[in-house]
Amino acid sequence: MSSTYIWAVIALMAVANYAVRFPPIAIVSRLRLPEPVVRWLSYVPAAVMGSLVAGEVLRPGGEYLLTLRNPYLLAAVPTAFIYHKTRSFLGATVAGMLIFVGIRALLG
Amino acid sequence: MRGVRLGLPIFLGYVPVGAAFGVIATTIGFSALQAVVCSATALAGAGQFIALNLMKEGAGLIAVVAATTVINLRYVLFGATLSPHLKGMPLRSQALLAFTLTDETFAVNVSDRRTGASSGASMAGVGAVAWTGWVAGTAAGALAASLIGDPSRWGVDFAMPAMFTALLVALAEDRKQMVVAACAALLAVGLPALASAGIAIPSSWLIVIASMGAATLGALVLR
Repeated sequence: MSSTYIWAVIALMAVANYAVRFPPIAIVSRLRLPEPVVRWLSYVPAAVMGSLVAGEVLRPGGEYLLTLRNPYLLAAVPTAFIYHKTRSFLGATVAGMLIFVGIRALLG
Repeated sequence: MRGVRLGLPIFLGYVPVGAAFGVIATTIGFSALQAVVCSATALAGAGQFIALNLMKEGAGLIAVVAATTVINLRYVLFGATLSPHLKGMPLRSQALLAFTLTDETFAVNVSDRRTGASSGASMAGVGAVAWTGWVAGTAAGALAASLIGDPSRWGVDFAMPAMFTALLVALAEDRKQMVVAACAALLAVGLPALASAGIAIPSSWLIVIASMGAATLGALVLR
């Protein structure tokens, strides 16, 4: 893999990732949005997190893992519970990783 | 300072995942400098890992960039969702804020918004802390790749899912939000099954399609 190719990928990725982030903020914050659009937007955060979690947990690495021997699923449930009880992102993330390592070891 | 405190969990979550990126990037041929510059300028999480995968398989420049862009198209939704809260903020501040927009900074800022204490300064703090964690993690991973070995040994595979799970619980706080999140989850898991019926949805589009579909359903059905 040539160094030029790597630098080109890095440069274009930087541009592309900024292009999907900045224009929507710059443009939409200067518009007056109709009520249905505002309501639609209010559902976006929960929808994105729901689809991200479901994908990561039930299709890790892009392959279905719909069994009870799925360490992602078995670790996600206590992680959700710990966040619900403690309201600590940090605590829930670290506990979740530890639980995941433990469960994966147990499942062999 | 409020922003720094809110960003700290993101920092600690990003360090191990950033380190995993650093390890994998240097394994496939990046120099440590290239890995760090990539993290510092793209700050693209999943998009960066996808790029490494494709590069390893010998994909062309355009294919690599297109894949990371599509996977991060959800940032368009994030920007639009945040923007009503950013009215009146100068363009220059918005430009800086946009640079550090990720799943985690977005979710933390949105849930902080609901407490009423969020401000431009706190959002900038969250972004700066998250960026530092991602870049520092990448540097550590790229420089100590041989010491770290296989990053998955340390439970890094579950760092992002764990963070997403906590953020989901934080954001799906009322019944309507829970219904929308559940619909999005069903779509995200169900749509790939359509491949056997001949309808193949590229995996990079999955999150965008599932979350837009569920949000649309919510806006139409739940008032």
